[in-house]
Amino acid sequence: MSLQLTKSKALAFSLPALIAILPFLGACFYIFRFSISGEQSRIEGFSIQPYVDLMTPYFGRSVWLTLRLAFIATILAMMMAVPLAFLLTSLRSPFARRSLTIVILLPLILNLLVQAYGWILLLGPSGVLNSTLRSLGIIERPIFLLFNETGVLLGLVQTSLPLAVFPIVSSVRGISREHLEAASSLGASHWRIFFDVTVPLLRPGLFGAASIVFAFNASAFAIPLLLGGRRVQMMGIAIRDMISPLFNWSGAAAAGMILIFVTMITMLFAAWLARITSEKVER
Amino acid sequence: MTSDIHLHINKVSKRFGTVDALRDVDLKIERGSFVCLLGPSGCGKTTLLRIIAGFEAATKGSLILDGQDISNQPPHKRGFGMVFQSLALFPHMSVARNIGYGLKLRGVKGAAQRDRVEELLNVIQLPHIADRPVSALSGGQRQRVAIARALAIQPPLFLLDEPLSALDAQLRDNMQIELRQLQQKFGVTTVLVTHDQHEAMMLADELVVLKDGAIRQSAPPSQIYNNPADSFVADFLGAANLIEVGAMKGGAIDLFGTPVKSSPPHRDGEQMLAAVRAEHIGLSTVGKDDKAGVGAISFMRDLGAATEFVVTIDGKDLRVRRTSAQVQGLNVGSKVGLTFDPSMVSLFKAP
Repeated sequence: MSLQLTKSKALAFSLPALIAILPFLGACFYIFRFSISGEQSRIEGFSIQPYVDLMTPYFGRSVWLTLRLAFIATILAMMMAVPLAFLLTSLRSPFARRSLTIVILLPLILNLLVQAYGWILLLGPSGVLNSTLRSLGIIERPIFLLFNETGVLLGLVQTSLPLAVFPIVSSVRGISREHLEAASSLGASHWRIFFDVTVPLLRPGLFGAASIVFAFNASAFAIPLLLGGRRVQMMGIAIRDMISPLFNWSGAAAAGMILIFVTMITMLFAAWLARITSEKVER
Repeated sequence: MTSDIHLHINKVSKRFGTVDALRDVDLKIERGSFVCLLGPSGCGKTTLLRIIAGFEAATKGSLILDGQDISNQPPHKRGFGMVFQSLALFPHMSVARNIGYGLKLRGVKGAAQRDRVEELLNVIQLPHIADRPVSALSGGQRQRVAIARALAIQPPLFLLDEPLSALDAQLRDNMQIELRQLQQKFGVTTVLVTHDQHEAMMLADELVVLKDGAIRQSAPPSQIYNNPADSFVADFLGAANLIEVGAMKGGAIDLFGTPVKSSPPHRDGEQMLAAVRAEHIGLSTVGKDDKAGVGAISFMRDLGAATEFVVTIDGKDLRVRRTSAQVQGLNVGSKVGLTFDPSMVSLFKAP
C-alpha cells in the first residue's frame, strides 16, 4: 500500500480549497464580462469600447510605470533576499534563526497602513531623517523621499522581501555541501563556485521567487496609494480612480483584465527563461 | 631502501568544541600507494580525509606534501581529486561537462578538453555517455563518472570518502577491483575512507585502523590481519574470537590446553586476551582420554566452499571456519577437539 495520498483522496481533501477558489473565479469571470459591456455602469450588451478607450497615452504610461516599478522592485528585493537566505540557512543557533525569520516575516504580519505610516514618520517631509539633517544644517529644504517613485519603490521592496526570501531559502537548503566542495576540490575559487554551481542550482528557485514578487508588486495598491501620494499612477491606482470618481466600471474592469494579462505574460516569460537557461544540458 | 614519502600527516589533532576528533595522528604516505583509513563511525577517518582535502583545518599539526607545508592552502589550490560519499556530480551539467569542469578551470578548453574527456570515458569503459545528463545514469555509471571527474585533473592525491557505500554488494565488488586497477594505471597516491574491512583489505597497500581519533595500527593488510596490534583491531578486522584466557603463568597462557608463549611487555600474573581467527582453529575427532580442548558443536552452517561452526567449550562460544572437505561426519552436538597453532594466536593484555 502506498503511503502517498491517492489522486482521488487528494482530490477529496482539496475540495474545500477548490470551493474557496470558486468565488474568485466567479469574480474574474464577472470582471471579464464587465470589461466587454456596452455600458459603463452596468453589464449590458457587448462592446470592445472599454478596451479601445484605454488606448490612451495616459493609460499606456500607467502600464509602463507599473511594469517598470514592479521590475525594479523585484530586482532590488531579489538582490537583498539572496544574501538574507544564505544568512538564514547558515545560522546554527535556533534562537538566532527564529529571530531573523520573524524579522523577515514582519512585513507580512504588520498591517500595510502601519508600515506606510512608519515610512512617513521616518522619511516624510517632517520625518526623523529630514528634521535631523535640517537641524545638523546639512540641508535647508526637506528632501522628498516619499510621495514619488522612490517612496513607492521603497515600500514595494520592503513589503515583497519576505515573499522573495523564503522560496530562496528552500532552494539554498537543497544545495548540498558536497556539491560546493566537489567544485572546490576541482580547483574552483569561491566566486567560481558561486557562479558555476550555486547560481545554476538556485536558478529555478530564483525565478520562482522573482515571479511571485513581480506579480505581488505589479498588482500593488496600498503602497502606491499611501507612499506615492497620488502622483505615482500605478495600475492599481488608475483602476480605482476609474471607479471612484468616474464610475467607469467597464473601463476599470478592462484595465483589470489588462493588468492580469500583462502580469501573466511576464510570469510565463520568466518561467520560459528559467527553462531555457537550465535545460541547456538536461534536455 | 629509502621510501619516497609523498604526504606526511604531521601530528595532526582536531578539536570540535570539546570533542577530540583526532589526536596526534602521524602518518607517512608513500608515493603511488593506496591507503585505506578504516574504523567505526565517529573514529575520525572522514575528518582526517577532509583535513587532507583542505575542507577542515587541523587544530594542531601540519600537512607536508613533497616537503612543502600545505596546511594553509585552500582546497582549490591543492587540487586533490576527490570522490564524495554522495558523489556530488553536478546535476545541471552533462557527463562531459562534469568530467571537463576541472579541466576548464585549468584553461584546458575546446578540442583538448574534449579529447581528455573522451580518453577518461574510455578508461571507465563508458565511451558513449558524454552528452547524457547525470540524472540518466545508473548507480555504477555515476560512480565511474565521479571517479573520472576527480582523475581528469591529474591530481597529486586522489581522495575517496566511502564512495562505494551506496552500491549493492555485487556492484561494489566489481567497483573495488576496477578502482584498484584504475589507481594502478594512473599511479596516483590514493587515500580512501571506509568502514568496511573487506573493502579495505581488498584495496589497500597500507591499512590504517583508527579509533576515537587515534591510529591503532598502520600496516599492510595481511600484517594487520595476522598480527593485530590490539584487541580492538583484531575484533574490528572481523571473524576473530576474543577469548579471556586468565592470567599468564611461566611466560605463557593456556588456551584450552594449548600453551601459547608470550613475550614482553606482558608479564606473569597479567590477565590476558587471546585473539584467534575462525579459520585458524583446527577441529579433530575426540578419543576417550582427551580432556583438554574438547567442546561440542552448537551450531553449523554450510557456506559452500567452507563450513562455519560455533563450538561451545568451557561455557564459551568460539567461531570456527573449515573448508568443507575437512569436516565430513560432523553434526550439531558432536564432540570435537580444538587445536591451535600458537603462531596464529595474538595475545593482548585484558582491558
